[in-house]
Amino acid sequence: MSTVLPETFTMVLYDHDEIANAVDEVLGAIGFPPDEDVRVEVDEATPLARTKLVSVEPVVMTVDGGALEDPRRPRQLSTTFVSVVVGRLALQALDRRDADFGNPPADEDLPVARRVAWDVYAIGRLARLGYPGQRQRRLYNFRNRHGFTDAADAAFDHLWTADHLTWDEICAISDGALAARPDAD
Amino acid sequence: MKRNLPAAELARDSRFSRVDFMERARDPRPMPSEGRGDRAALTPDRTNAPERARGLMHGIFTGEIQALEGAGRTCWDFPLGTGSDEAPFELKLDMARQCWDEARHCEISVKLGDWMGTEIGEFAESPFLYEAACNPDPVLRLTGVNRALEGLAIDVFNTMREFGRLSGDPVLTFCEDWMLADEVTHVKMGSDWLRRLTADDPDRRARALEFQRVVDKLFSLGGVRGEDEDSPIKLARRFRELAGFADEEIDEIAELSHQAREELRARRAAVG
Repeated sequence: MSTVLPETFTMVLYDHDEIANAVDEVLGAIGFPPDEDVRVEVDEATPLARTKLVSVEPVVMTVDGGALEDPRRPRQLSTTFVSVVVGRLALQALDRRDADFGNPPADEDLPVARRVAWDVYAIGRLARLGYPGQRQRRLYNFRNRHGFTDAADAAFDHLWTADHLTWDEICAISDGALAARPDAD
Repeated sequence: MKRNLPAAELARDSRFSRVDFMERARDPRPMPSEGRGDRAALTPDRTNAPERARGLMHGIFTGEIQALEGAGRTCWDFPLGTGSDEAPFELKLDMARQCWDEARHCEISVKLGDWMGTEIGEFAESPFLYEAACNPDPVLRLTGVNRALEGLAIDVFNTMREFGRLSGDPVLTFCEDWMLADEVTHVKMGSDWLRRLTADDPDRRARALEFQRVVDKLFSLGGVRGEDEDSPIKLARRFRELAGFADEEIDEIAELSHQAREELRARRAAVG
């Protein structure tokens, strides 16, 4: 069950119920406990695309309006982006709750490379559930953070295809790719 | 075949979605020039840099299509001659050569999109470049498109080439370098034809330069393109020199961008 805020959008042409339905659908698909509430706070005033997992228990996420916007049609909602953004954050919330996963730092303390690596791991899982993962787009982002090398591509494939990784394993994969950069010390 | 084809009649398949200036103006959220977009320099350490690069390169891709269409139109729209509604054969020959370059740039941009994970039509297309190429005076077309907008393309390509170099992306760096070289030629065509066709017509030259100033200021995007350390798009002074810009002309563009930035700051301060 999700709570989406605001109830009414005035600056963008988003429909509250359409977002809520997409959120509920993706939460069900990833196996999120159905009796738990997930709160999604959308800042419709900004077309930027920042997202943040504010709280894990209960799950609260803040999302810039631009993160849910169809890039082909300004101010229009992309339910695909709702699914992928909320699905990624919800999977990472479940990761954080899992004692076996480990103990990653708070979102704001995550180095960019490790955050991107974790995103790849989450979106790869969503892609296998049938959501558009935009693999090449994610690979390009990953390469920008880890180098344009064969080692980085292999690390990406490992993260993208994995179903059960720990935080330490994600860090090791990311660090291994970084070490292979031509400019690495 | 129709002459002076309006932007609304440009051929696009269903992958493309066009957004005009008015539609963007109706958006109540702060405009990019008012802080809507990320105004920081485009450097790899920025969290959203690869995403911004993808969007920017798709904008370049649609600009290449329109540049091809605009140059092609200039070959066709005017009868041969040197009047204000005519074009010399040699100018048309230059435009035909530019069509060849722009077609190649379209192909490069498609492959670069594949590399960056961007689909054709993934972002909305703004038809502003082609609209500048609809001016009924060929000299104004060349100042508006070749000198102002292709000049902006020089700045963007140079910025993207540097982004590719810093992020270690060999494909982006290589593609930008090659397209940048062509853009310098296109801008120089604009500079050369402006001087040749208005050598004995100072009023026409003044109108052309005024049109260029309007386009330059309009697309300085609130000072996003400039010479400040944190300017997302750097004014590529050296390449503009190679393209036939005099130092004082480059100074004027920098000043226009600075003015646009100050006007933006004043508007934001007024809003609070």
